Amino acid sequence: MEFTFIFSQFISGLTYGMMLFLVASGLSLIFGVMNILNFAHATLWLIGAYLCFTFWSLMQSYEVALWVSIPLAALATGAVGWISEVVLIKHIYKRELHEQLLITYAMALIFGDLIKITWGPTDRLIVRPPIIQKPIHLFGAPIDSYFIFVILIGFAVAIGLWCFLKFTKYGHIVKAAVFSREMVSALGIPIPKIYTWVFTMGIFIAGLAGGAQSAIGSVTLGMDMAIIIQAFCVVVIGGFGSLMGTLVGSLIVGEIFSFAILLWPDGAMVLIFVITAVILIVRPWGLFGTPLRA
Amino acid sequence: MKSKFLCIVIVLTVFFVLVGFSIAKAAEPYHLGVALGFTGTGTLYSKDQLEGIQVAVDEINAKGGFLGKHPIKIFHQDTQTKPDVAVRTVKDLILRDKVRAVVSEYSSACAVAVKPIAREYKVLHIAAISNSENITKIDYSPYTFQVVPNTYMQAKAAAYAVAQMAKKNNWKEYITLASDYEWGRSTQKEVIENLKKTAPFLKVKKELWPKLGETQFSSFITSMMGMKPDFVYACLASKDNVTFTEQAKPYGFFDKIPYVGSMQSVTELITEAKTLPRGLVAIARAPFFAHMDIPMMQNFVKNYRAKYSGKYPSDWAVMGYDAVYALKQGIEKAGTIDTEKVKDAMKGLTVDLTRGKLQFRPIDNQLRCSSYVGVVGDDPRYPFPILKDLIEIKAADSERPEAEIVAARQAEKK
Repeated sequence: MEFTFIFSQFISGLTYGMMLFLVASGLSLIFGVMNILNFAHATLWLIGAYLCFTFWSLMQSYEVALWVSIPLAALATGAVGWISEVVLIKHIYKRELHEQLLITYAMALIFGDLIKITWGPTDRLIVRPPIIQKPIHLFGAPIDSYFIFVILIGFAVAIGLWCFLKFTKYGHIVKAAVFSREMVSALGIPIPKIYTWVFTMGIFIAGLAGGAQSAIGSVTLGMDMAIIIQAFCVVVIGGFGSLMGTLVGSLIVGEIFSFAILLWPDGAMVLIFVITAVILIVRPWGLFGTPLRA
Repeated sequence: MKSKFLCIVIVLTVFFVLVGFSIAKAAEPYHLGVALGFTGTGTLYSKDQLEGIQVAVDEINAKGGFLGKHPIKIFHQDTQTKPDVAVRTVKDLILRDKVRAVVSEYSSACAVAVKPIAREYKVLHIAAISNSENITKIDYSPYTFQVVPNTYMQAKAAAYAVAQMAKKNNWKEYITLASDYEWGRSTQKEVIENLKKTAPFLKVKKELWPKLGETQFSSFITSMMGMKPDFVYACLASKDNVTFTEQAKPYGFFDKIPYVGSMQSVTELITEAKTLPRGLVAIARAPFFAHMDIPMMQNFVKNYRAKYSGKYPSDWAVMGYDAVYALKQGIEKAGTIDTEKVKDAMKGLTVDLTRGKLQFRPIDNQLRCSSYVGVVGDDPRYPFPILKDLIEIKAADSERPEAEIVAARQAEKK
């Protein structure tokens, strides 16, 4: 196999992995801190994609329309996340896991129908600016130039989250809340407020991912259900609540998928599910998670 | 004198009664039902089809209507592209509006649902753009006619055209890319089997199965580019096809590898004129530009553009127009608008249409029309890309053998 071919597949896997990371990192963060398994996470990601399309439509005569629309979509989706937390999620913190799953699944269905009512069943397509319509070549391998941007966003979010958790006061509070929310609460820190902002941040990242996704292909109904399963695989492999785990899990899934297509096309997805099942049996807290919450 | 006067009165009375009767007869309009999905997934195609029908009706009415004395009156209703609604609307058209013929439908599921209704009420049913083979192959109805190349004809035509291209370009290996669900799997299987017959020298290099609703095709794209096949045959569901196309474009995929399999009607060629990748090998049902050498097509394009602000007619408009003219020629052969006689006259009839002189095959009332395969490319004559290097695959090379239809109907009875 030629080097350029392998390199090309590697970059494809990296891009795929980065998109999964952007979706799964918010999911993992919310579960890690709040113990909420948010099945509606990918639907909020899809809302981000549709919002990005709307912002782009309003500004499409400008060259910068796409680049402005992506952060605007992230902010608007974050706002939707904030409202969802205040109105609904806040009331299910103490519910059993299966109840949370059912409620957030209902949320996914409601948001899905709202998307259909708002944007209709027609596919929505963003026309990329000319600068990212042509491939670039690295080591002779053709690469979609927009994917460089996606990879950079992925790393930026990973580094940004790491810095936030490592160096800021609020990051320390969030990390502490992962291990003992009672102790954090006892120190006089308002846990509900922290939860609201963590949830909003997770959904903001989902909105950012949705915005980035919207320029990759057409935005269509049902995309959320396709990606949520893979996002769950990522957090199971990496470990719920672990940023590093989510990053590594995403890259594993992306690269395995990318290379399995060459060697065993029928079983590319099966392989990922097998790995997820093995991790669940052997190490239920994932590669980088801690057994504390398992 | 008195008896002479009485005779004159009787003669005049009979004369006026007969004249009045014939005037009333001449004025009887022909009620034509049009049941299409003006909302739902088929909106664009249905709208175009109605426009094609309207142009044909205007032309015929300008000469007095069918047989020069039955002006056509169109009654159109929205089926919402739903079979249950289609059945309801067609019943409405038959019972309330007294239509003698119904032209339907974008969705094959709707056309199949409408067929027994037309048979029950003895009304002609012309499936103008829905192309499931089952509309005419099984559960045969003498009232149902199809003027679009059916699914079997299109699949075989694609294989036939690919075989020709393969010989011409010395293609040896190909990759299939098919959505991983029932339709994708069965279509891909049919393609491979057809290609084995039409081009036995072609080898399948790899079979790729993206899941239905795939959002990330990048790994598939780079792997196909890396494997360097002579061409890729795609059987992707419609939304997935758009996603794939959008993601493959920035890789320069279509500049490097011939991509075969997608359907591109004039509707797509116009609406996606800016974004559609040039070089796609696409299949079409009735592109007007394939027959601009036929005076009837020239006339249709001229009249259609005059009526609709310079817009070019899509495949769907062409087939709508042809449906009305096929009916007209059936009525002319029957010499009456009586549905039973028209139905009998249309069986096996050869009609002059925009796509040439074509026959309704007696066994199934399927019009023996062509399918078209070409390469998406720009043409200075049109403000949108067309299919270039067009291969017209005639019905003789693409239709299902009659023996298979007989066998299918026998199997259906068991």
